[in-house]
Amino acid sequence: MKEFELESGESVVRQTRKHWFLFLSELVPYAILAVLPFALPKLLLLAPQAAPYTAQFNYGEPLLRAALGIWLLLICTSAWGTFTKYFLNAWILTNDRVVTIKQRGFFRREVSSLLLSRVQDVTTNVVGVIPSLLGIGNIKVQSAGAEIEFTMRGIPRPEEMRDLILKYVPEEPKKLSSDLPRGMVEWYNGAHERAIVD
Amino acid sequence: MPSQPLKPFTPPTGIFVQLPASISAHAMMTLLFYFAVVCWVVYTLIVIYHWLTYSHASRIAFPAIIAHLAVSLALMSYALSGLL
Repeated sequence: MKEFELESGESVVRQTRKHWFLFLSELVPYAILAVLPFALPKLLLLAPQAAPYTAQFNYGEPLLRAALGIWLLLICTSAWGTFTKYFLNAWILTNDRVVTIKQRGFFRREVSSLLLSRVQDVTTNVVGVIPSLLGIGNIKVQSAGAEIEFTMRGIPRPEEMRDLILKYVPEEPKKLSSDLPRGMVEWYNGAHERAIVD
Repeated sequence: MPSQPLKPFTPPTGIFVQLPASISAHAMMTLLFYFAVVCWVVYTLIVIYHWLTYSHASRIAFPAIIAHLAVSLALMSYALSGLL
């Protein structure tokens, strides 16, 4: 992987992208535009005043064929760009961290990672009928410092991803840090660590 | 106030009849085709660069590029068939 190097002993647990349904919904405008030249003559027939124009959409005519080819070429190329952006956006969970790769546009890419040891809270959020049926949701990962917050939007099976993240969050020995006197806290934490070493 | 009585709107008889007489519809469409091809080349190069640079996507990269090139060439041939 070019964006980030795996550390020694680090392995990719899961790589995920936006749900396929969200990708297909992004393709709908292109599909409508592609079908438009074929649908337009039929739609014009519905309006009696515009019906005479139907005869002009004869794609057997060379120039109209050229125009149709150019139109479809531009639409296909744009749709391919959308697919590329969909594919280059990814969330990667390793046994050590969560990495988000955001391709916001061409030549505009963000790669950020959050160590799992700093994860404090993982929240999933599924809203709506279609997301509930298809298992599309968001995950919010908050770090201990609270300055970093990762949100994965529109990922498939967010609960599964949350469980995986929590599975790989390392368990820290519980330290006493309250309003107790400082000497007592140091004594407790030191004794606790000694007990773990022993 | 117009002095002449308003003439009813008459629809054009063809798509290309509105062009000036000095520009032929064929020349116009040829220019449009060249413009589209130039745009396609630039965009395709940018997208291929992204596919190949971020190599974690390499398993899908080559089939995606090949599919795009194949579909595009087919559409270009179709468009060219109307121009040649």
